[in-house]
This record gives sequence, C-alpha cells and structure tokens, in this order.
Amino acid sequence: MEEEAETEEQQRFSYQQRLKAAVHYTVGCLCEEVALDKEMQFSKQTIAAISELTFRQCENFAKDLEMFARHAKRTTINTEDVKLLARRSNSLLKYITDKSEEIAQINLERKAQKKKKSEDGSKNSRQPAEAGVVESEN
Amino acid sequence: MADHNPDSDSTPRTLLRRVLDTADPRTPRRPRSARAGARRALLETASPRKLSGQTRTIARGRSHGARSVGRSAHIQASGHLEEQTPRTLLKNILLTAPESSILMPESVVKPVPAPQAVQPSRQESSCGSLELQLPELEPPTTLAPGLLAPGRRKQRLRLSVFQQGVDQGLSLSQEPQGNADASSLTRSLNLTFATPLQPQSVQRPGLARRPPARRAVDVGAFLRDLRDTSLAPPNIVLEDTQPFSQPMVGSPNVYHSLPCTPHTGAEDAEQAAGRKTQSSGPGLQKNSPGKPAQFLAGEAEEVNAFALGFLSTSSGVSGEDEVEPLHDGVEEAEKKMEEEASPESASSTPESLQARRHHQFLEPAPAPGAAVLSSEPAEPLLVRHPPRPRTTGPRPRQDPHKAGLSHYVKLFSFYAKMPMERKALEMVEKCLDKYFQHLCDDLEVFAAHAGRKTVKPEDLELLMRRQGLVTDQVSLHVLVERHLPLEYRQLLIPCAYSGNSVFPAQ
Repeated sequence: MEEEAETEEQQRFSYQQRLKAAVHYTVGCLCEEVALDKEMQFSKQTIAAISELTFRQCENFAKDLEMFARHAKRTTINTEDVKLLARRSNSLLKYITDKSEEIAQINLERKAQKKKKSEDGSKNSRQPAEAGVVESEN
Repeated sequence: MADHNPDSDSTPRTLLRRVLDTADPRTPRRPRSARAGARRALLETASPRKLSGQTRTIARGRSHGARSVGRSAHIQASGHLEEQTPRTLLKNILLTAPESSILMPESVVKPVPAPQAVQPSRQESSCGSLELQLPELEPPTTLAPGLLAPGRRKQRLRLSVFQQGVDQGLSLSQEPQGNADASSLTRSLNLTFATPLQPQSVQRPGLARRPPARRAVDVGAFLRDLRDTSLAPPNIVLEDTQPFSQPMVGSPNVYHSLPCTPHTGAEDAEQAAGRKTQSSGPGLQKNSPGKPAQFLAGEAEEVNAFALGFLSTSSGVSGEDEVEPLHDGVEEAEKKMEEEASPESASSTPESLQARRHHQFLEPAPAPGAAVLSSEPAEPLLVRHPPRPRTTGPRPRQDPHKAGLSHYVKLFSFYAKMPMERKALEMVEKCLDKYFQHLCDDLEVFAAHAGRKTVKPEDLELLMRRQGLVTDQVSLHVLVERHLPLEYRQLLIPCAYSGNSVFPAQ
C-alpha cells in the first residue's frame, strides 16, 4: 500500500514535471517570438521565471474554475466560469467574451446544419450523419 | 483619619465612608491633609486599631465644633472643595439621593441602630459624622431610635448588619419606625449607598456592577431599526432557551456603534476597538471580544452616545447636540456599511481579515479586509437584507462615503504603530475605497453567477476562498469560531437547540 502510494506520488510528480517542462518549452518559444519582434533578448532566468509563474497561475485558475462551477451548483466547468475568472482584466474579458460568442455561433450553426441534414436525409442516413456531426463537433 | 475598627466588611466603600465622616469639611485647609491622611489610613487596613487610636483623637478634635450644624453644613463645606475627590463624589451622591427610602428593609434599619446604641452619647453630641468607633460586631440590642444621626456610620453598619439580618431572617420591624425620627436625609443617604449594593449582593453578587439598563435600551432600539421581522420569530424561539439573547443583541450594537462613528471623539475609543479586535484575535474576542468590547464601550461614554445616536434614540448619555450631528454621519456610514456589509455576511470573519490586513496591506495583496471587521456588526444583521444597488448606480455621496472610511483609516494608523502623514492616510483611504468597491463588485458578480439576485453567505465564502482565507484545511466555520464573538457565531453556525429547533434556519 505504501509502495503504491509512493509510486503514485512519484508518478504524479513526474507528470507534473513533464507538464512544467511543456509549459517551459512553450514559454520559451513565445519569448523567442517576442524577442524577434521587439529586438530584445530574454535571459534564461526570465523564461524560467515566466514559466514557473504561468504554471502556478494555471493551478490557481483551475482551482478557481472548480470553485466557480461548484458555486453555480454545477459539476462541469462552463464558459461562464471562465468569463468570471477573466473579469479582472478588461481586455482579456473582452477577448474571451468575443471568443465565446464565436464558439456559441459555431455551435448554433452546427446545430442548424444537423437539423437540416436530419430533415433531408432518411432515418437511416440521419443516424450516421448525427454521429458524424457529433464526432466532428467533439 | 478614618478610624478603622476591624470590621467584618471593611470594604473600600466603608472606609471611604469613614473618611467622609471623620474628615471635617469646615476647615478647608485641613481636609486636604486629612484626606491624604485618610487615604493613607485607608490603605493601611492592616492595623486599624492603631490608626483608629490615632485618628480618634484627631477626629474628636475635629468633630467637636460644628457637629450640630448637621449634614447640610457638611455638604456645603464639601462643596468648597473643588477637586473631585472620592469624598466629594460620595457626598454628591449622598446629596442627590432621594429622600424617600427606596429600599428600606426593616432588617437593614434594625441592625443599624443596634450598633449605634453603643455610642448614644457620642452620636447625640455629634449628629454629623462621628468617630467611627461603633463596634460593628455588637449584636443588635435595644437601640435608641434617635441614634440614626450618624448617617454614614449607619451605612457601613447597615451593610454588615443587613447581611446578618438576611441570615437571621430579619424579624425586627419596629426599629425602622423608630429610626424615622432620625433625619430622613441621613437615612436616605444611608440608603442610597446601601440600596444599590444590598439587593444585588443578595441576589446576584456576581452581577452587582453591571449596568444592564443601558444595554437594554440599545438593544431594543437597535433591533427595531435594523432587524427585519423575519428574524423575530427565531429570536422569540431563542429567548426562551438562550441566555445570550440579551448580550447578543447588545454586542452588535456596540460593534455597530464603533465603526459608525465618523469620528470617535476619543482616540481611546478606537484604540479600544483596536484593542478589542486585537484581543479578540488570540482568544475568543469579542471582537470582537464581546465582553471586553462591551466593557470598553461602556467605559467610553462617547461610544455609547454614538450608539444611541446611531440608533436614533433620543435618550442619549451625551446631549442631543452630540447626537444630532453624529446621526447624519452615522446614517451615511451605516448606509455605506450596509452597502458593503449586506453583501458580505458575518461569515467574512472580520477578525481574520483584520489580522491579515496588517500583514497584507503593506504588501499589495488584495486581502485587506480589516475594514470588513468594522462592518462586522452590521453583517450578521444585514446578511438577509437584499444588497442595495449601489454598485451599479452612481455614487452621488462621495464625501460621506469616504468619510465613512475614516474609521478604518484610523484603525490602520493605530496598527501602523508609527505616526502617519496625512497624505499617506489619504492614500490609505483611497485604497480602502477601491478595495470595497472591488469587493462589492465581486460579490455582485458571484451572486449573479449563481443565478441569484441576492448576495448570500455562499458568495462571501467564495470570495474568502479566493482570498485564501478559507482553504481546504480552514473552513469558514473555523474562522468564525476563531475570530468572531460568541453572539455572531450563534447567528452563523447552525446549531441545534432544545425543542428540536435549529438556528439559524437552513
């Protein structure tokens, strides 16, 4: 039992390390882009700091999102939760709101298409189409 | 100067009594030394005999002259003394005492004459104060009705005798009438001192010094003003079984009064609040330390005055003038507090917020909730009120709104432990303003997120969770228990009471 717990712990730890490494890599890429754009170099410590910061902030975000969802008596995190999270920064909130509207529109269009197809197609053809639509949506 | 016969109850009061009796106010210069001597004598109760021996002669020499003049002369002479001494205070109290004996248990009067019977001659010679050599412990024998002259003497004796009489059952009833011959003034004077103590000492020795009347007034008015009727039924249920109903309502009032005062006139009042909140942190405070706060508030008359003004009750300790200008400021402060506080429930544990405030305020962390502490009293009562739509509408009353923050600013400066510039205080006020606006916006958004229009304690808990005060290890109830006084805890943490009732109702 203890060994299992330990191995689990180790696995989680290594998983976390891998995630951190991924974040670090992404941050590094972004920093390079910015460096090219602004003609300013980024030191390694800076990138490391930014990646660490990002990782911890992501943890915070996740906890907050979970809290928000639970506050709204839901078990799934919603776009509403994300919007609530981003309300602090005006520009970010605007960006997210636009994006969410975009996504909502796409969903509506897809639903409309689905309904069209289901009306046109026969029953048999409808089901695979729906399945296909569902898969495409996913 | 007081002679100190060893009494069974040589309390400071009795000793002061003796001082008053023995000191001769007719010689204004003397009383000073006499008083000093008397005070010294008071302190040295170890060897009363010796002192009495010494003071006896002195007192005799003193008291020879104008004894016959009577108490009025006494009083007049004492009036010449400008300094506020215990003696003058006592005398004033005696003077203003009602002549009719409010509490004149026969037993009390009976024992009094008894000791006096010992010195009939002396007493008659000096109708005013007299050598206090009456042996207290002498059993009440036949006494002369006219021995009531030494009023103060009677008082001291009365106490001990009264207690004795209480034990014995107080069967005598004739003496009192005989005592009526004595100057009613003295008798009443005796009574005034005795009455407040005796009945209480008999019934409730532990509560003898509490001023319950004052608190009751505050509570009633406060409840009427702030509580909805919806809260009434649970209170009614509570009052049957809960001993805290009185202090519970009292403490919110006290708390409310403190933050509501735009300018607590006395700095100590705020410091008292600060001390109160501080002490509340470690132990059960009342924080807000309920009891110490109440006592502190009781001591600071201004606070009570403000409380009364806040409650818009005209019967204030301070004059109406004080109440009036405060009332407006208080109203606005109250509204502002309501605005801030109603969205927050008392579960915001103002204490914990304040405790953290001074850690975090200096760091630009969004956690300074110290001000919330002050709004704590409003919170439990206003938690069920719908939040006023202040956050959305404009703020026409900016100045009074900011004026309401002065209390928090002063708290801040108190905890800074160093002098602060005015500019710094203004900045603090601005920060507090922004903080509260932000806080209320958040609460509003949280409530809307849950599809509600009313801010509930759950919203506040969510906010505290985001602030890091409530964690998986530390729950809200833990914070409430840790920092809030018992009365608020009752309101916040559901508890089952007798009769199968749960309060507050879930």
